[in-house]
Amino acid sequence: MTVAVCMDTCCRAKGAEGVWSALEAARRQLAEEVAEVELKQTAAHGLCERGPLVMIQPGDIFYLNVQEEDVPEIVRETILGGRVVESLLYEDPETGKKATSSDEIPFYAKQHRIVLRHNGVIDPTSIDDYVAAHGYEALAKALTEMTPEEVIAEVHLAGLRGRGGGGFPTARKWRSCREAAGEPKYVICNGDEGDPGAFMDRSIMEGNPHAVIEGIIIGAYAIGAHEGFIYVRNEYPLAVARMREAIEAARGHGLLGPDILGSGFSFDLRINRGGGAFVCGESTALMASLEGRVGEPREKYVHTVEAGLHDKPTCLNNVETWANVPEIISRGGEWFASIGTEGSKGTKVFSLVGNVRNTGLVEVPMGMTLREIVYDIGGGVADGKALKAMQTGGPSGGCIPASLLDSPVDFDRLSELGSMMGSGGLIVMDEDTCMVNVARYFVEFLQEESCGKCTACREGVAQMSHILNRICNGDGREGDVELLLDLCDIAESTALCALGRTAPNPVRSTIKHFGEEYHEHIREKHCPARECRGLFRYEILAEQCTGCGRCLKECPEEAITGERKQPHVIEQAKCVQCGACFEACRFSAIAKV
Amino acid sequence: MMKLTIDGEEVEARDGDTVLDAARRAGAEIPELCAHPAVSPYGACRLCLVEVKRNGRTRMAASCCYPVSDGLTVLTKTEKVQRARRGVMELLLARAPESQALRELGASMGVDEPRFPTVTHAERDCILCGLCVNVCREVIGAAAISFAGRGVDRALAAPFLQSADACIGCGACAAVCPVGSIEIRWGDDEVEVPTFGAKVPAARCEECGTPIGSAPFRERVQGQLAAGLSHATELCPSCKQQHAAAGLSRANRGTASTLPASARPVPL
Amino acid sequence: MTTDTATPDLSTAVEAAVEAYAGDPGFLIPMLQDLQADLGYVPAEAARHMADLLHVPLSQLYSVATFYKSLSLVPRGKHLITVCLGTVCYLKGAKEVAARIESQLEVGPRMTTKDGLFTFEPVNCLGMCGLAPVMVIDDDHFTEVRPGQVPDILARYSGKEN
Repeated sequence: MTVAVCMDTCCRAKGAEGVWSALEAARRQLAEEVAEVELKQTAAHGLCERGPLVMIQPGDIFYLNVQEEDVPEIVRETILGGRVVESLLYEDPETGKKATSSDEIPFYAKQHRIVLRHNGVIDPTSIDDYVAAHGYEALAKALTEMTPEEVIAEVHLAGLRGRGGGGFPTARKWRSCREAAGEPKYVICNGDEGDPGAFMDRSIMEGNPHAVIEGIIIGAYAIGAHEGFIYVRNEYPLAVARMREAIEAARGHGLLGPDILGSGFSFDLRINRGGGAFVCGESTALMASLEGRVGEPREKYVHTVEAGLHDKPTCLNNVETWANVPEIISRGGEWFASIGTEGSKGTKVFSLVGNVRNTGLVEVPMGMTLREIVYDIGGGVADGKALKAMQTGGPSGGCIPASLLDSPVDFDRLSELGSMMGSGGLIVMDEDTCMVNVARYFVEFLQEESCGKCTACREGVAQMSHILNRICNGDGREGDVELLLDLCDIAESTALCALGRTAPNPVRSTIKHFGEEYHEHIREKHCPARECRGLFRYEILAEQCTGCGRCLKECPEEAITGERKQPHVIEQAKCVQCGACFEACRFSAIAKV
Repeated sequence: MMKLTIDGEEVEARDGDTVLDAARRAGAEIPELCAHPAVSPYGACRLCLVEVKRNGRTRMAASCCYPVSDGLTVLTKTEKVQRARRGVMELLLARAPESQALRELGASMGVDEPRFPTVTHAERDCILCGLCVNVCREVIGAAAISFAGRGVDRALAAPFLQSADACIGCGACAAVCPVGSIEIRWGDDEVEVPTFGAKVPAARCEECGTPIGSAPFRERVQGQLAAGLSHATELCPSCKQQHAAAGLSRANRGTASTLPASARPVPL
Repeated sequence: MTTDTATPDLSTAVEAAVEAYAGDPGFLIPMLQDLQADLGYVPAEAARHMADLLHVPLSQLYSVATFYKSLSLVPRGKHLITVCLGTVCYLKGAKEVAARIESQLEVGPRMTTKDGLFTFEPVNCLGMCGLAPVMVIDDDHFTEVRPGQVPDILARYSGKEN
């Protein structure tokens, strides 16, 4: 019997370590009674919000929200008794039906897992586990049966496009780098997943690090590189640890270093950490960072495949792109190309987050509609609210209104919608979300993360932020929307790097689809979503108020008055809209108007 | 040599030229604030934008960074280009509205008042073009100053906001600054760069004792000059001229008047 | 450049950080992070010593140390409070959580309390969006945090036993 505990960042945060040690203690005690209980850790299974997750084989049993206190029952019932603990199973919110295995849960049933196929299944700290799951067979095939050109041809046939944002054809990048003059050549894995709301790459690094390493070695062989770097952001300590262990293990097994698998091909890989700078996700900034300098992008009129790290030909792909490579080599480009759409092949991993019922990691074929992702997999909007928009692509992306739910998701379609794939964050926003505030959020994010090198981004984004702030604060003026659009044009046409050039996307897309909200803020000084402080009021509904006094006690401004057991009243002049009363009220007696 | 078309005219350029180099030689007027022939292209100010057409695709590009290639088509004064440059100029003027240099350049481009308020702080009108940092590192080799911070908080600074002890007082930073942001005081005993809190001893003319710039800089230059030329740094311009004149008269035995005007000593 | 201001402790820490990456200046950022993990921050004299060892201009090291948000040039508090301000956390009220921390501790972003107990550091996305809003103190994660929970959470770290 195998008991697997998901031990990624999210499950740990919810107490997976306690579950693990309780299971371990129980196993030690059981050792004599039950011959074989293998306890293993896995990571990033997908349903992050419901962790800690425990998977038991045989039986394909999938427990959610497991706490340390549940362990004795799991041991007694499932491990010893062979019975399922009903209370720990997934329950369908509509039908109330329980699901024993993860395959029965709609969240998983509609996914198509290639990159995530081993997530939650194998132990990321064990290279043997990866090898047992046919790991490194693609590498062996590439090194012993294929020429570098054949590897590139296979990736070309697959139609793989970069998963980091722009969707550049991977094979074309590899070929340019292979053909570029200059030695040495470098390969880089971009694990600086900075888009807020995106954690696909973290999950892959935490859940299946060897797939990334295997993909990188295959790519290095194809390109003719002997040295590589994995650049992981500082905010992902567990991913750094997993990748570091995996590199050590691969080196120990002769999969990194000189003469890999007796092929004569040598390659080694080192891990480098970011320092908390979103802009380092941009390839030239990342390379500057890898040279020990400030993460400032430079013009890419000469491509990095020709002059990248230390001015040498450099091929950079992101984590998910590299992780796709082994399966393409194993199963063939044709197989991969049979999945997806005309222009976007294969699958895409999304982090489905925000106001959605099932939050987590989702891998779907390219071309699936937003509706299928949000409703069939995500279970729809949480708390019975109405869907307002979906945000993709992080700060470089845009907001897609609910009316476009039936759009298929691939690189080209998202660009047409004024958004972009980005690295794969998909944030669901409900009716209570103020879209002007969303634009302000992203612009402030970019202002904070701009490197400050070029005028367009440093000054232009600061100006956008200034205007958006005054609109959200109730000081918006007629003409502000036009001024914002002009600033969007300036930034888009003059900024040095993609961070500045795509900074207009959140602003433009919200103006385009939610222009009325801007006007209501500016003309009526009212926030229709009741999110912008000062642009709405809190009021106590007399018929709901029981006069319990909680709000009165919580109010830091002493703006609430009322006798006990009598309806209370908010004195609007004193109210600062902090929301403390709203948060405190247990009778839904406080309304935002 | 290669051929490209700039504003409809065929122009020759050398490998390694930037579009800005080639366009300037062809007589095109392109505004910029961060390009300098002595330092590598940086591309920070964004004023030198042009449209480049290559393989049938037109894009906006910073001409100071764009390398020339055979058959490239460049447009330096389209309405699109000028609108983009004016937008950048407005942003720069909003940052440093007091800068005379910026105001003049802005006026020449048709930008008198920006539509935007001042929302970022420019210390001494600094527009963060990077020329001082780059000249100090690349040309002088001192790397005494750098940018600190990022985004709107980016600023020019000596390490740890202390005095720049790697500064050799050469004054190159002040010389390349397009907005006159860096102050330099040439004293009798010291050369001071108050902007970076740096002070170095002044060098003096070996003959008359007149202060002639920074002593550490003279040392640096002397180390780089071929043997026999180091005396060129030892004298003030006036003493140098007298020496030259004396040398010439000895060589020409009083026929100095046959020299071209440019070679004649000019009295100070 | 002088190294004589670097005290033995600092020198040892700097040398260990540099050694861990075989003196490769490409690893300057992780070196500075290791140094900070060791000393709590990046002191100027340590930076000088590191610049000398790596043959990197001090100005470059300074620009790096002020550019990357995870590095601090001033001593930090005993406990590091991180609040995720990624999109989902933001939409689910992280800003209010941050505001509550700031008002209770009387600090701003990237500031340390007067008693040196806490440093408050908002970050842009920890990639734990399913559990938003997320707050981390040292290595302890707090998920789905409401502003009202802030006083209780902070109290666990302000006691004498800590």
